[in-house]
Amino acid sequence: MPDNEQFLRFMAAWALVHETADEGWKAAVERGASQQPGEMSGGPEDFVDGLSAMIAEEKERLKAELASGRMREDDRSSVSESLDELRFELAELRGRIESLQASVDALRPADE
Amino acid sequence: MSARSREISRALVGAALRSGGSRALFARELRRAFERLGPAFVKLGQVISVRPDVFGPELVFEMEALQDSVPALPAEQVRAVIEREFGRPIEALFADFDDTPVASASIAQVHRATLATEYRPVVGAVLPAGTVLAVKVVRPGAEAAIRADVEAARPLAERLERSRRFARFQPAGLLGELEASLCSECDLRREARVADRFAFDFRDDPLMVVPRVVWPLTGRRVLTTEFVDGWRLSELDAARRAGIDGRALAVHGAEVFLRQVLELGRFHADLHPANLFVTPDGRICYLDFGITGTTSPEQRLAIAQVLAATVYGDAERAIRYSAELGLVLPPGREQVVREKVAALMHDTLATPPRDVRAYALGFLGILNAEKVAVPLGFGLLVKALVTVEGVARALYPDIDITEAAGPYATRVVARWAMHPARIAERGPAALRAALRELAG
Repeated sequence: MPDNEQFLRFMAAWALVHETADEGWKAAVERGASQQPGEMSGGPEDFVDGLSAMIAEEKERLKAELASGRMREDDRSSVSESLDELRFELAELRGRIESLQASVDALRPADE
Repeated sequence: MSARSREISRALVGAALRSGGSRALFARELRRAFERLGPAFVKLGQVISVRPDVFGPELVFEMEALQDSVPALPAEQVRAVIEREFGRPIEALFADFDDTPVASASIAQVHRATLATEYRPVVGAVLPAGTVLAVKVVRPGAEAAIRADVEAARPLAERLERSRRFARFQPAGLLGELEASLCSECDLRREARVADRFAFDFRDDPLMVVPRVVWPLTGRRVLTTEFVDGWRLSELDAARRAGIDGRALAVHGAEVFLRQVLELGRFHADLHPANLFVTPDGRICYLDFGITGTTSPEQRLAIAQVLAATVYGDAERAIRYSAELGLVLPPGREQVVREKVAALMHDTLATPPRDVRAYALGFLGILNAEKVAVPLGFGLLVKALVTVEGVARALYPDIDITEAAGPYATRVVARWAMHPARIAERGPAALRAALRELAG
């Protein structure tokens, strides 16, 4: 078989695996979504189904967040960390100015 | 040669003669000679204690025990420094000032005072009027006296530099380093800034205390902080009697250090029992931020890898990642060093009670014997780890800090490996490898 045909064959096999996996994934999500509370701990298959449904839910939430531009808790905490850092840098600057002010005051002539 | 130069030469040669060729004995004699020779040599000893890249482990660890205490200065002289620094009488600066010093060392001495008006520090809650303060004052003339001693020691250092036996200790370079360290230690504003940064870094840690700086009462020669009371590590029996949980504090102390090195990238590189104490409410207080080390993100990951490999007894991996920290093994000696390190790991770390100090000393000893240059940052880190273990053992003698270090380092490595950027970086390569495998 010529090289390019072999390549096409390989890619077709890859697409087939991908499609089968995708169908398997969708079926797992569907089974997981219909699980009753507690069913996820029934065995490894049930666990995978339940986990797939949870991941699919999270994916939908992520899609909605990205579409609306809303922020996740993680992002919020990173902003809050940056604000903390900024506050510290300002306070540090204030400290240095206070020290500098004290040194400049010390230069005042005694009779002033 | 001046009289002082002769005195210095006599003291150093005497130390060498009394040691009878033993490294440990020489280290002890040299430490005693430095104590007798005064402040400049106490500082020189401190410089040696943080240069494991140049000096053998015996000398480095012996110099940690230097006693830096000198007779106190009369209170009038201390008051004069403070008044000159701020241009106001001491009564206008503090509600109260205690003329009896709390501590007296070669460069500075510390007095207790009381805050006159409330102050909002850079980190933490407002300090109310009446807060007890620690006022650290650089001794007048300390800098000039040390500089004079450095000049007196210079001809000797230059002569030693020409000798084949001593050249590798770079005596002239060491004197230069001493001068630089002196300049930075005599400006207390630098120490104040580092203290604030540490306080900020550990603001979410309820078991850590860093005294808050009072900036309007801080200048080049005066550092004013809140006074934190507690037990020195030599007084821990009293702490235990008061119900302090030594084990919890020891584990936490080790984690605090690992967090500095592996997460924050800034660490206290001059940890010794005098710079740490335990407060009555069971917290660890850090003092004296004169010497600090830094680690880059790449170094942090490599350190975590070395640490995890060491704790889990994987000599090959420990040495591989040490190379990323600048440790270069001479060609042809890799296998020998690996075998020696593996044997050392087996002897010191394989079974409890694990002896981190013996491992670190042995490791630096192997590098010394194999003539492997130890990068400064690497040496400082090994030394700091040993000190942390010593401190943890002082708090709780049966502590095994590898129990805290192993999981901590593993978490850092795992977090790095699972980082989305890392997965994105490795994903395509992994996929390509899989496709190549499938394509046969």
